[in-house]
Amino acid sequence: MKRAALFSFIAGLVCCFSAAQTTVLPAQLPSGWVKDGPPSEFRGGSLFNYIDGGAEIFLEFGFDRLLVQSCKKGNAEIVVELFGMESPASALGIYLMKCGTETPLEGVPARNSGDKTQLTIVKGAAFIHVNNLEGSSSVLPAMAEIARRLLEGIPEGKPVTLLEGLPSEGRIQGSERLIRGPYALQSIVTLGEGDVLGLEGKIFALAADYRDQAGEPSSRILVGYPDDVRAAEVFRNLVAGLDPYLKIVEKRERGLVFTDYRGKVGTIERTGARLEIRLNLAARPSQALRNPAAVSGGTGLM
Amino acid sequence: MGKGSRLSPGLPGCLDRRGFLKMGGVTGLGLWLGNRSLKALAQEPAAPPPRPKTNIEDALRVPKTKFSLPGFFPGKVVEVQDAAAVKDDKPVSRAVYRMVEKGLEGLTRKSGKDSCRLFFGRDDVVGIKVNPVGPGTISTHLEVVDALVDWLVSGGVDRKNIIIWDRFDYMLKDAGFTPERFPGVGIEGLQTMDEAAAMGKTQDNSRWLKPDGTHVSTGNFDLEAYYWADVEAPRDSAYLNQHVFNGKYSYFGRLLTKRLTKIINVPVFKNTGNSISMATKNLGYGAVCNTNRLHAPLFFDVNTEVMAFPAVRDKLVLNVTDGLRGQYDGGPEYEAKFAYWLNTLYFATDPFALDMVCHQQIVAKRKAMSVKVNEHPKFTEYLRYAERLGLGVVSADKLQHVRV
Repeated sequence: MKRAALFSFIAGLVCCFSAAQTTVLPAQLPSGWVKDGPPSEFRGGSLFNYIDGGAEIFLEFGFDRLLVQSCKKGNAEIVVELFGMESPASALGIYLMKCGTETPLEGVPARNSGDKTQLTIVKGAAFIHVNNLEGSSSVLPAMAEIARRLLEGIPEGKPVTLLEGLPSEGRIQGSERLIRGPYALQSIVTLGEGDVLGLEGKIFALAADYRDQAGEPSSRILVGYPDDVRAAEVFRNLVAGLDPYLKIVEKRERGLVFTDYRGKVGTIERTGARLEIRLNLAARPSQALRNPAAVSGGTGLM
Repeated sequence: MGKGSRLSPGLPGCLDRRGFLKMGGVTGLGLWLGNRSLKALAQEPAAPPPRPKTNIEDALRVPKTKFSLPGFFPGKVVEVQDAAAVKDDKPVSRAVYRMVEKGLEGLTRKSGKDSCRLFFGRDDVVGIKVNPVGPGTISTHLEVVDALVDWLVSGGVDRKNIIIWDRFDYMLKDAGFTPERFPGVGIEGLQTMDEAAAMGKTQDNSRWLKPDGTHVSTGNFDLEAYYWADVEAPRDSAYLNQHVFNGKYSYFGRLLTKRLTKIINVPVFKNTGNSISMATKNLGYGAVCNTNRLHAPLFFDVNTEVMAFPAVRDKLVLNVTDGLRGQYDGGPEYEAKFAYWLNTLYFATDPFALDMVCHQQIVAKRKAMSVKVNEHPKFTEYLRYAERLGLGVVSADKLQHVRV
């Protein structure tokens, strides 16, 4: 596929896949590599047919379309998975869930993490896996080259500034996450059943781990709602449906303090249209949060 | 990620598939619904839905046998690690054989054929349940099965009475479990599934759907032996292709109910979300059909309850968790970033004790690798449930974790 056509395809990705393009990679592959048949395509809920058991998190973050293309050279095989997400924030959300401790590969012109077995890349609204099924180190240059050619046609998209809403003091780099529903939330904490934060697949909550001055780790989740009324409703529902393993030990003017199944302390506090949850605290805070995080009401993407 | 599809028989999740598709559909619109809808949604209570009824009582009414779970060594888990087990990203057969010998001896206090004869008689038909998901990467290693087959033969079990099995026939082949690789040993899937149809590459359903509208693998399941749960399955053809039946019944494979007299379970050391997909999930979701409907409402309780039925409870005599290569995140399908060589095998007659030990180990690994960890008790509740049912021993004060 020529670059113009590739660009057209990627533009289609970003525009929620209105285009009927069905190719993933440019015609010019690294020397000796050939496409192994046509790509497979999965739209919306059909993603279950490809990664049944792992599709839920993609759908939660806002999945539009996946194209899968296998390439071969002798016995070596590279499989490219190009996920088109709803928005750059959706793509970043998935990337942060999947990248692990980031180990960027030099020469790949986008945020990435990987090694000889798999590259995980995010650019604009695209989330990409480049998989080396055999795991041989000799394939790594071809993986990187394929990634570079693919990325040439993918627009940067609107910069995602969501994570700037997380306080920087004491934040553990690399611990940042986006949350758009119960699957992403569950990877961090169980506060209750279902969409207890009332994100409804539209609002992005922010999460990160922190260390205090004594070096003690804890976690924060921050949510900005459209208005005070909505935040108050979510807070009431959250308290009413709070996970039975979390015991409320103190009610405060703007929130509450709880202990979890390990005796760790947590707090939930609403300030206007903001909700802030602190987890894994070693001791009960002496008072409600004095410095609510810098998430202003309505900053969550919708 | 595996070759071709990443479909797996053991599927984690917390939402009903179709329910989630509907949710995804709404999400896909990317539209703000407006205050009216939000208020309506906000008024919905967040209380957990009631647990669906199941036929677990049917299982509990059947008297146990001397082979019933938790087997001869309740609560005992033997761990064998050997740094020489893998070389150049490939298992070393000789080292794996030694590990199997050490593990079995550590578990039974008997060596060689004596340990085999503790579990098996000459007339037994032994099924080796493997996990072929992530073929050639995070699937059960062939070398481990080699060692177990040889151990069985040394104890007097005829090769023709050994059957390597999984729920899906094509996955066995992809993972290398072929008649050519294991001559004289049976290789059987409980069912087939048309991958091309599942992936939307063809509209031709004739490879899996009979003219009468039933799945070609229908006859492989025992309509008299089932796990029933008050949960309806989706009625669409994609579900039927993968799960053979719709409705509220998950039938046991006839291989288990009619032919196998003993089972060895050989899962892989890997996670699924905050939990694990190892010994109990390999059989809980691998011994019956029509399972995807069960994930959301019953989660891992299915592992416990399916294994309470005689087809598993009275035949599963040994579990060997293949931790030559482990995966601490991204499971149950292969996610290369999180796979690593662990060089370890685990042995137990009690699959619940085994899963408890492995769960604790994978949590420790996730923490060490800075993966988010949610240690909520609900992710191990199914193991305590099994203990209450007398199927396993998982209490910390009763677990016996032995490293040899």
